[in-house]
Formats: sequence, structure tokens, C-alpha cells
Amino acid sequence: MDDMEEPGGAPAPLLRIDDLRVDIASRDRTVHALDGVSLELAPGEALGIVGESGCGKTMTALSVLGLLPPGGAVTGGRILFDGQDLAAASAPTLQDVRGNTVGMVFQDPLTSLNPTMTIGAQVAEPLLLHRAGIGRKEAWARAEEMLRLVGMPQPAERMKSYPHQLSGGMRQRVAIAMALVCEPKLLIADEPTTALDVTTQHQILELIDTLRETLGMAMILVTHDLGVIANRVDRVAVMYAGKVAEQSDVRGLFARPRHRYTEALFAALPERAADRGTELHTIPGLPPSLTVRPTGCRFAPRCSFATEKCREREPELALSTEPAPEPGAESGARPLAEALAGAAEEDTERPGAGHRFACFHPVPYGDAPAEQVVTPPPAAATEPGDVLLELDALVKEFPLTGGPFARRRGTVSAVGGVSLSVRRGETYGLVGESGCGKTTLGRIVAGLEEPTGGTVRFDGRDLSGLSRAERRAHRRRIQLMFQDSTAAMDPRMRVGEILREPLVIQGVGTRADQERLTAELLDAVGLPRGAVHRYPHEFSGGQRQRLGLARALTLSPDLVVADEPVSALDVSVQAQILNLMRELQRERGLTYLFISHDLAVIRHLADTVGVMYLGRLVESGPAEQVYAHPLHPYTRGLLDTVNVPDPAAASGGDREPLRGETPSAAKPPSGCRFRTRCPFAEEVCASTEPPVSTPNGAGHQVACHFPLAATRLASAV
Amino acid sequence: MTGFLVKRFLQALVVLFLVSIIVFVLLHMLPGGPARAILGPKGTPQQIEQFNHQQGYDRSLPTQYFMYLKRLFTGDLGDSYRLNSPVFELLKQRLPKTLLLTVLSTALAVVIAVPLGLLQAVRRGKASDYALTGLAFLLYATPVFFLGLIMIILFAQVFPVFPAEAPQGESVGELLGDFTGLVLPVVTMAFGIVAMFSRYMRSAVLDNLTEEYVRTAMAKGQSSRRILVRHVLRNALIPLATLLGLYLPTLFSGALVVESMFNYPGMGLLFWNAAQGSDFPVLLGVTLVVGIATVLGSLLTDILYAVLDPRIRSVA
Repeated sequence: MDDMEEPGGAPAPLLRIDDLRVDIASRDRTVHALDGVSLELAPGEALGIVGESGCGKTMTALSVLGLLPPGGAVTGGRILFDGQDLAAASAPTLQDVRGNTVGMVFQDPLTSLNPTMTIGAQVAEPLLLHRAGIGRKEAWARAEEMLRLVGMPQPAERMKSYPHQLSGGMRQRVAIAMALVCEPKLLIADEPTTALDVTTQHQILELIDTLRETLGMAMILVTHDLGVIANRVDRVAVMYAGKVAEQSDVRGLFARPRHRYTEALFAALPERAADRGTELHTIPGLPPSLTVRPTGCRFAPRCSFATEKCREREPELALSTEPAPEPGAESGARPLAEALAGAAEEDTERPGAGHRFACFHPVPYGDAPAEQVVTPPPAAATEPGDVLLELDALVKEFPLTGGPFARRRGTVSAVGGVSLSVRRGETYGLVGESGCGKTTLGRIVAGLEEPTGGTVRFDGRDLSGLSRAERRAHRRRIQLMFQDSTAAMDPRMRVGEILREPLVIQGVGTRADQERLTAELLDAVGLPRGAVHRYPHEFSGGQRQRLGLARALTLSPDLVVADEPVSALDVSVQAQILNLMRELQRERGLTYLFISHDLAVIRHLADTVGVMYLGRLVESGPAEQVYAHPLHPYTRGLLDTVNVPDPAAASGGDREPLRGETPSAAKPPSGCRFRTRCPFAEEVCASTEPPVSTPNGAGHQVACHFPLAATRLASAV
Repeated sequence: MTGFLVKRFLQALVVLFLVSIIVFVLLHMLPGGPARAILGPKGTPQQIEQFNHQQGYDRSLPTQYFMYLKRLFTGDLGDSYRLNSPVFELLKQRLPKTLLLTVLSTALAVVIAVPLGLLQAVRRGKASDYALTGLAFLLYATPVFFLGLIMIILFAQVFPVFPAEAPQGESVGELLGDFTGLVLPVVTMAFGIVAMFSRYMRSAVLDNLTEEYVRTAMAKGQSSRRILVRHVLRNALIPLATLLGLYLPTLFSGALVVESMFNYPGMGLLFWNAAQGSDFPVLLGVTLVVGIATVLGSLLTDILYAVLDPRIRSVA
């Protein structure tokens, strides 16, 4: 691919991946995980690699350091780093590069640190390996310095700590310190923030940005999250089925995706949906399995623009050759690229950075991106009905036991007095970070947990007053849907049995009735009826969530408590499930209590939103109002922290992301629980619990001493 | 940690109390009884009655047990009928020797099994792994007495390198002085343990090798060998610590067979002879000691855990 060479001026690439092919062999099959991937990275440049699970983005990152999983091997191509081919390098050569000139940060900060080694020993380890002259003492001093640099409070003490003593965010800081302690030229970050909360995610990404600037290193940021990539990298490569589908500077890509896959991916984002009422764009089907090399374009089977040509020939990753506004650009790729880049943005930071894509039928130049097609907002799906679920001052405390003899050491206040009501037929979105009590609340509503205080009223009846038999009968009216439906299903039961089980337990109908109902449910959630004979593990993530939904609907409940039902899914599949949930709600008059950490998903689906922080409901109200005019500083902070998948939106200077970490629920702050992180906190916040008020009109409640005034608000995010 | 130990100790006392009841009842259900055993088949019914009255065996079981407990608290475990000496003295003499045997063989087993397990894990699926696995299963399936016989035949008779009989010293020091005599009993006992420990070690290492912290260590540039030693070893030893504690009582019963085979003057041999002669006070005494060992074993596991795993340390 010599045409990639920049004729003078451009710096020599730090990393150049050339036609890389990686196979992963297991017992019975070989997956062609990477099939001709070419990428380039200049010194100091940040490249984002995005794509859905299984597209090869992580394999690309791992192969640079020769860290492919067992069975994985590079079968072709080169990985030139600093002039050295790492794909063909010996083990000692690779060991010399790893942790030294190339650092790597992984996804899960809990499992990627050694639980039995101190933080200090782990951070100092690369120094002792790669810096010959450095003794233990100096290595520890430098490790401590590095911990300070990554924003670890009290680094000297933390050196002696073990990973389990730190929070998730702090652990990821340790992982970053470890990767950077030898001041590498390249940092590879594989989903570094995916396991973290929104606010922590933001802090870690900011930290990586700062460190990159300080140390002047290049970065490869691998993520499935378009929001993460939008503001953190210079260029983006979109991968699909083991190949790079599109590559461009970040602004160019977000402003004008050309590949039909990229276009579809953007359109599936709930953030980009024109209106709450609209259906999300979905990508039908699933990515190919890659055990056989597909002929033609790999996206063709799922692409609505595919033609015969797409199915027969494989498009090359190249600069556009189609007629552009400026004529005469068939062969001269560079002028067109410049024209494109210039037209896209005035400030082309990297002149000559071409927008490449592998598509025979790209999104036409100058066409409005798909997500901006505005459909008129439909009338509300359902008129708000009577109150179905009412929580009054609900409290749930767990005893905190420690030590081998289960001594009670205190109390964890998981839910600290929450009152809310859900109307029949609506979707109530409960949003908050991990540990805010949203899942516990859902479990109480579903009857899986007994509240320590307060009441749950369902359809006008106080649940605590129910007899055993009544409670049993009541259970069928509220059903749960989980984040991981496989874990929630017996792996040794066939789907038919799983779906029939609730009916058997509740003694509904004859066996024939039950089977008929099961078949109807499978139709409703878009699965083949033959699925009844299969086991849960035989389904893909999206299909399993369909099963989870079907199982929840077997008993025709009034209320479905959905706890993070789409958090484990890829964007395109997430869109399918969200659309399905909405469709079934319309058809069956369902009420959803939808629990999620994802503000965009909640915004898309929910009619009413409740924001939880550390066991308290800090704000609730109609979704549009809460998002457009948040009254609580926490809600505002959350909205400001979220990574919006749009490079242009993020540059606004008035955003105030949340700082600090959520305090422990075992020792919640007095008064307002948010006060420790609140920029407006005053003395009264520490002494008095904030009263609930409705300064924006009835229905929009906030629990804050100093609710944000309407005038102080910026425009909606 | 001290609070933890005190509590643990109290728990142990309760367990031991229960153990003593069970042992007491079981022994008194045995046919024949001590009188017949001691006086022999020629003892007259009068003699037996007199003996039973003298020893308190004609009282009710609860009373007997109560008397037994009362003596126990004064350190009086009764007198051996056969050996004409206080049980306490016998145990004091024999216990250190059995401890020597178990500690030596366990140490030998761990020293062999840990590297062996590591090696097998690293060579997983290769010929050497299969060969060692086969050997481990063979050893595991072989009864200790059979293994001991083979050892004696091979190393005491065919190649007379080691004596077939264990040293007969009065103290541990004397036993250690005659080291060659210790080799066969220790090795025999160690073999069975090696088989089990190496299997556990192998699977623990394999589990740990797929952990993400290993990948992180690789990403730092650590060599595979040093990753095993520095990172994996300690984590893989944690399950082994459980095994060690659980295995302690089994070790004592292993010692019983080995000691009687090699005529090793330990507690196992004492128990063996006492069982054959219905020497009740000795049997009770030994069982009590094994009970204590079992409880101490699980305590040892907890302490080892805390040493190896900082996550447990901070909770305790």
C-alpha cells in the first residue's frame, strides 16, 4: 500500500500496520479475526478504532504487542513500530517493547491488576524490567511520582495498598500509571472506560488526554462507544468483520460518514434519534461469523443499498473516486481528499488526511447525514393513565457485616427514602451511577427484596398487607428483565421450558395452551418458533434479550422492571431491543420501570425520568423537561459529563463535568447526600435534608436547597 | 486478628467437646469391653465385675463421661491398661514423632508438587503433561500400604540403600540422628500427597494463567517464566492452602498405616496397638489429639489464607 506514503512533509509513521491478518484457531474452527487491516499512526497522534463486538478492534490492538489470546496467530502482514516488524519479532524483542516503548491499558481495572501484589510493586515492575540502571528504591520513588501524576490521592500510602482497597476509577488510574511509568511512545487503550461509571469515565479520559499531552505520546483508543471517541482522538478507523470499513479524521467522520455501515451505526444511536417517539434505525441481522471468508462486501447482507456488485466483489479501502463537486478527480486522490476535508471543516488540522472507505455505494457527497432526517414527532404513544405503582418513603438498608464471624459493622443505606409514582402505560426511566440504589429499588418493586421502611402500593394495594397466596398471585403482575439474560436462565433448560415455566408455576392453562402462548410470544419478540428446542447459550446477545423479554411477558404482567436490559449490547442490537420494547408496550399497554445508567437510552425511551444518587431520588419529572432544564446540580453534572457522540458538541465551554467519587453508602453524607460533590453546597446542605420542591411547575420535582434556576440553564445537551 | 483467634479457639472447644462425646459413645458400644480385653478369656465374671466397678464402668454412660471430662480438665487422660503408663505421658512422647513424620512428608510433598504442578500447567496438553498426569493418578490410586511395600522391596531389599525399619529413638532428636531410617516412611507418605497436590496446583495455575492480570504482566514486558514465579505462583497457592488444612486429619490416618508398616514409634502405631487391645484410654486420648489437629488444621488454613491473600486479610 505504497499510496499511503505521504510525499514529503508528513512525519514518518510511528506505527504502521500493513495488511495484517490474524487467525484464531480453536478446537473445531478457525476464525479469521483480522483480514487485511492496514493502519498508520504518526508520532503523538491519537487514533480511535471503533466497531461492534467481534469486529476485530481488540485483536488489532492486541496483535501490536503480540498479546493475542491462545490459538491466535498473525498469518500475514507486518506491524512496523519504530522501523521494527513486531509481527515477526522474537519473544525477547517483544518483551523489550512491551511496557517500555508501548504501554497498554485494558478494560477491567479489577481483573487486570494482580490481587496479591501491592500497587507499588505493580507500578514499579516495568521500571525494574526495562531500566537497567534503576534500583528498587529509585523505581519505587518513580512509581510513586507516577501515581501522583495520574491523580492518585496520597500516593505514598497507596503504594502499599492492594487493588481491592481501591475504587474502580482509582484502579484504572493505577493501570494507567503502570502503562506509562516507562514513558512509552505509544499507549494502547482497549476499552479503558467501558467498565466505569459515567463520571469516572470522564475523569479517566481527561487524565489520558492530559498525560498524552505531557508525555507527547501517540495513542490507539479502542472502543465500541462513539461518544468516547468523538472528543479524544485525531483520526478514527471504523472496523467491521475483521476489516477497516472507513477511516477519516474524527470531525470528517462524524460530520459525514461515507460507508453505509458507519452511517447505519450512527443512525442506531439513541442520542441521534430525532425524537423520543421515533423508532431507532436498526441494522438487520448479525455480523458474519468469519470462519469462512465472505465473498464481496462483508456488510452487504445487512446493507439496504447492496447490489450484485457488492455481493461479488470486495470493495477496497480507498479514497473516493466518484464524481465530486469539483470535477476531474478520478485519479488524483489527494485534491479530492483535501476538497472533502476542506469542505467538511474549516480547520483541517491534518492536511492531506484522506477520508477512506470501502464501499461501492457510499453515502452521496453532500447528502444530509441520515440521522438528521427529522420525522414529525408522533403523538404520545399512550395517554398517561392512573397511577399503577406508588412508592412512599421507601427505605432499604443492608446490614454491613465484616470479618469471619459476620459481625454487624454498620448499615448500608441502599435506598434512603424514595417516593415516586409510575402511571399505567408509561415508561419510568430510573437513571443513576452504580451504587445509587436503582437496582435495589427495582428488586423491591419486583418483590425480590423486602423494604426496611416505607410502602409499595401497586394498583392501589399496599403490598406489605398481602397474604402469602395473594402475594404469589400478585407476582405475575410484575416481571423482571435482566441485563444478562443468559445468566438469568437455567443453562440446562430448553427455551420452551424456560418460557413455559412461569405458566406452570402459576398454573395457567393446559400444556397445549402454554405451548401456543409460548409460540405467540416468540413471534412477538421476533424469534423463530423453532427456538423452543434450543438452549439459551445458542443465542446471540440480542436474541437472548429478546428471550428475556419474552420470558418477562409470559404471564402478561402489568409492569415490567427492566434492569439495564441493553447495557451489554452493541449499538445496532440495542436499537433493535429498544424498538421492540416500545412496540410491545404499545400493543400490550405495558408499563416499564426502566433502570439504566445510560442517559441517552433513558432519554429515548422514558416518558418520566427519576435521577437517583446514593439511595435518594434527587430529581424526577417528564423526560424532556428534566433533560432540557435539569433542576438538580447532580443531574446537570451528569448531563455535562456524558460523552456525546459529536465532536462539535463537546467543545462548548460551559460544561461542568462532575468531579470526585461517590461516597460510600455505608457512611452517606449528612443532609443532602450530594453535597460533597456539589459546586453550590452551603452549610444548610450538611445540616438539613433538602425538601422536595417544584420550581418548574408540578410534575418536575427536585430535592435540593438551591435548585438550578431556569435562567442559569444552558441549552439542552 | 487476636479477636479472630480467640473466637476461633472458642469454636474449636465446642467442636472438641462434641468430638469427645461421639468418640466416648462409639467406644462404649464396641463389643467385649475393656475388662474382657485386659483380663483375657480366662477372667471370671467376678473379676470382670470387680474391674468394671473399679474403673467406674458399671455406672451410667453420662456419669462415666462426666468423670472422664472432670479428669480431662486436670490433664488426666487416664492410664493405659496395656502399657501401664499415663496416656498423657504416652501422647507427650509419641505426638512429636508423628508431627515430625507428617511435617517432613508434607514439606517434601509441597516442594515436589508445586513445581510439578507449575510444569504441567505450562506444558498443558504436551506429552510431559500427560505422562506426569498418568503418574499422579497412579500414585493417587495406590493405597499407602501397597506403596510402602513396594518401597521396602525396592529400596530395602532389592537395592538395600535404606533400612526397612524406622529409627526407634526416645526423642525427636534421636530420630533425626538416624536420618536414613526416616527416608522410606517419609517418602512413602509424601508420594500420596504429591499426587493430590500436584493435580490441584496444575489446575490452579491453569485457572490463573487465563486471568487478565497475567496479560497485564505480559504487556509490561515480563517474561513468561517470571510471570509464573512473580505473579501466578502466589495466587495459585491460595487453593492449595485450603487443601492443606483439610488434608491434615487425612495425614494422621496416613501416618497410622505408615507407622505400623515401618514400626515408626509415633501416635499412629500407638493407636493401632491400642485398638487391637481395646485400650480405651489411649484410643480416647489419640482421638482427642486428632480432633485438635483437625480444628488446628482449619485454623491454619485461615491463617495461610490471610498471609497469601490480602483481600481476606483486610476483612479479618
